[in-house]
Amino acid sequence: MTNTATKTTIEYDDTPVRQFMIASIAWGIVGMLVGVLIATQLAFFQLNFNTPWLTFGRLRPLHTNAVIFAFVGNMMFAGVYYSTQRLVKARTASKFLSQLHFWGWQAIILAAAVTLPLGLTRGKEYAELIWPINIAVALIWVVFGINFFWTLGRRNERSLYVAIWFYISTIITVAMLYIVNHLSIPTSLTHSYPIFGGVQDALVQWWYGHNAVAFFLTTPILGIMYYFLPKAAGRPVYSYRLSVVHFWSLVFLYIWAGPHHLLNTSLPRWLQSLGMIFSLMLWAPSWGGMLNGLLTLRGAWDKLRTDPVIKFFVAGVTFYGMSTFEGPLLSIRPVNALAHYSDWIIAHVHAGALGWNGFMAAGMFYWLAPRLWNRPLHSVAAANMHFWLGLVGILLYVSSMWVSGITQGLMLSATHENGTVLANPNFLDAVTSTMFLMHIRALGGFMFLAGFIILAWNIWKTASGAQAVNGTVEVFVEEKPKAMGLIGGFANAPVIFITLLIVFAMGWGALPRVASGICLWAFLGTFMAMIAHKEFTKATWGQWYERLLENALPFTVLTAVSVFIGGIVQIIPTVIIDTAENIEGVRQIPYTPLELAGRDIYVREGCYNCHSQQIRTLVGDVLRYGDYSKMGESIYDHPYQWGSKRTGPDLAREGSKYPNSWHFFHMRDPRQISPGSRMPNYPWLFTDQTDIASLRRKIEVQRKLGVPFKETTKDEIAASCLAQGEEIVANLKTASAETTPDREIVALISYLQKLGKSEKVGPHGEQPAEPAKTEPPKTAAK
Amino acid sequence: MSKPLPPDEDALRPHSYDGIQEYDKRLPNWWLFTLYGTVVFAIIYWAYYHAYGTAPDDGAALKSAMVENTAQAARATGSSGVLNDEALWKLSHDQTKLAAGKVTFETMCASCHKPDMTGLIGPNLLDNQWIHGGQPMEVMKTVTEGVLAKGMVAWGPILGKEKITEVVAYVMAHHIPARRS
Repeated sequence: MTNTATKTTIEYDDTPVRQFMIASIAWGIVGMLVGVLIATQLAFFQLNFNTPWLTFGRLRPLHTNAVIFAFVGNMMFAGVYYSTQRLVKARTASKFLSQLHFWGWQAIILAAAVTLPLGLTRGKEYAELIWPINIAVALIWVVFGINFFWTLGRRNERSLYVAIWFYISTIITVAMLYIVNHLSIPTSLTHSYPIFGGVQDALVQWWYGHNAVAFFLTTPILGIMYYFLPKAAGRPVYSYRLSVVHFWSLVFLYIWAGPHHLLNTSLPRWLQSLGMIFSLMLWAPSWGGMLNGLLTLRGAWDKLRTDPVIKFFVAGVTFYGMSTFEGPLLSIRPVNALAHYSDWIIAHVHAGALGWNGFMAAGMFYWLAPRLWNRPLHSVAAANMHFWLGLVGILLYVSSMWVSGITQGLMLSATHENGTVLANPNFLDAVTSTMFLMHIRALGGFMFLAGFIILAWNIWKTASGAQAVNGTVEVFVEEKPKAMGLIGGFANAPVIFITLLIVFAMGWGALPRVASGICLWAFLGTFMAMIAHKEFTKATWGQWYERLLENALPFTVLTAVSVFIGGIVQIIPTVIIDTAENIEGVRQIPYTPLELAGRDIYVREGCYNCHSQQIRTLVGDVLRYGDYSKMGESIYDHPYQWGSKRTGPDLAREGSKYPNSWHFFHMRDPRQISPGSRMPNYPWLFTDQTDIASLRRKIEVQRKLGVPFKETTKDEIAASCLAQGEEIVANLKTASAETTPDREIVALISYLQKLGKSEKVGPHGEQPAEPAKTEPPKTAAK
Repeated sequence: MSKPLPPDEDALRPHSYDGIQEYDKRLPNWWLFTLYGTVVFAIIYWAYYHAYGTAPDDGAALKSAMVENTAQAARATGSSGVLNDEALWKLSHDQTKLAAGKVTFETMCASCHKPDMTGLIGPNLLDNQWIHGGQPMEVMKTVTEGVLAKGMVAWGPILGKEKITEVVAYVMAHHIPARRS
């Protein structure tokens, strides 16, 4: 406020922006190329080439990780490094940390690209990377965080712009989610078991998985939209107060929505309800972002005809609106019953990833390149061609997957004779009916990739031979105003009132009758007090908020608190309950050493990418696969393998359904048993030896996690494996299937035959007087 | 951003971030209604199922629905004639039944019993060795209830009575009553 301002010129550090941008384009092409390959594998199984590292189950994690963390990750970093410096009028704090961040992140991606095809995986979606890489990710993320907040601390722009709010929420939340979902105990340098199992692991996984979408693919890109879109349009942002309302509602509500990935499963019903109602409440906050993006273009719509940057942004934001309408829709339980496990979900995520992330990235790159290399874009015509190729590609992809998903959902749940008989008993009917659509989706993906390659060429032509330039700005370095401080950040009417309202609302929802009633009245009382306070003091919360925007620390803490609340309410009660007591009267029979080895093979091959292990409380599921899954049936599963997609049938009760020889011939050539199947052949399972040596350490860790293995010593384990293996081999021989007990196929068969084996116990896990083994009800088919 | 504002335009907020300015437009009513509507729905949903009511037990609801379905299906097909060995032998000459049975056999059964019924994973169905009985009604029972210990699936709830009748008729068409063992 005083006149001690001195004028100085700042040169921004745009080197990391260029680096991240080039890395994003390069990895983007890799990620999309793998995507096109695996999409084509679903139409032509031969493209798995009978080669372990080229099979769908190993490449699909590579595709998802590359697109999320390599393509969008690098794009996000480029956008954050570019816009943050300009929005806070300060050079990035540490050149060293920027470079450490860049090279560290690329090393992580490279490590992922090598380990995933080798089958080194944690077996949880988008969290497949092995534990040493997990640690590297966490460390590099912290480096990013330090560099970012350090830059904020040195800012010459007192007030934080909405883009910065979104970046702050991203850094805080991703750190929290990533660490909790990656807690594991190593068994070797490349293998670990997650500390959570069964239903707990499922909940933590989707709390992470859903919010990876929210805070890795959405909030940072919204921040990028808030900077680059008004810049490109040359128009003011539509509404500041909409920014405020949609930012806070988004970060508060998003974190609760994870359980919508687990509707109609054995996840406790109250969590399913929370997942559904919070997803519905997310509709408006998400659309707030779309509105602020699109309405900012008022007065600049003519640029849509001429400027490829605006084209990409408008289409990107529109796809964001579409996906965030579709998301809440898919969270409604009956809709989810149809869509879950089907290609509809694949359509949904690709509308987001290709439409929102892919197009926002393209728009940003086309805007940045001329500014980073001080030369006009090489070819506007090529950028326009990229736009149309990409748009038609997305539309082909998404519409074919919609049709395919709804077809699968309807065919697999359809029944005859008053809901007592499946209309399509053969799972393969749904596979063959949607085969044509697999070709269309591969074509759509290929078109999107082709467009992106045009972008790479265009940017390369723009940059090659040009001089890289860094932006500069003249700033008046002002004396810092008195900071709010942490206490000042919290001890004020808005924070106190809103905290009380949230606490009382949660108390009303969660506590038993009387306490709940008290909370309801307390909520209403607080609400009245808040109105009265505003009336009497004439306080406007707007002024307080504008002061908060000048104080990064309290702002960050408040953001963190609002995302932690949902996590605490959902995760803590679920992970501290005694798993032995909450099993719905059914308890999984623990694996034998050989079965555990087989399970690790199942995880290694990424079977969960196409096969679920969770029978929902739906007529179609129960008729096809057997009685619905109970909580107790997967308590010993570290990691849980419920899956999220049924490209093939559910396997929760696969055990004893078919003879050993069925699996033997099926794994060698699925089409010999199931004509029309898309599953790859697994010839290496018949030649490779099961890794018995590592079992002692693995079982030690499993016991630490509470799984009651009997065998502990090396000799006990080896003897048990051999005995069970010989039994299976002898049985296989009767069907002229020749192998030896040490082969991986034997271990895998032992695991598959164990799926669904459980015993009945008392409602709280008491052992019954006569431990009666229950064979799962055999109402199941392929 | 240097363009003059139209006269009816709202005032801009004073602050400019790297040249980006902001209006402070009212939130659109339809947007607010969507937000409030979903919040109200969430409160009612939670109050109805959790705060005051009891959450439905999905498993129990499913079970009773399936029992009801079965009862209704039984009522619907109750009058459609009794099945016995004689009737099934008769059906094994009914060409339309056989054609339908052949389709079901080839899609569902052939993977284990082979399309020509000579058996691979499951036993041969052409010879006269019947492990679980070779009378049509015995075969019907084996198909419907399965032989769980040996990996024969209980096809009853999957295929339904009609399809199983057809497929048994198709299998029995490869045998004659006199040669049964």
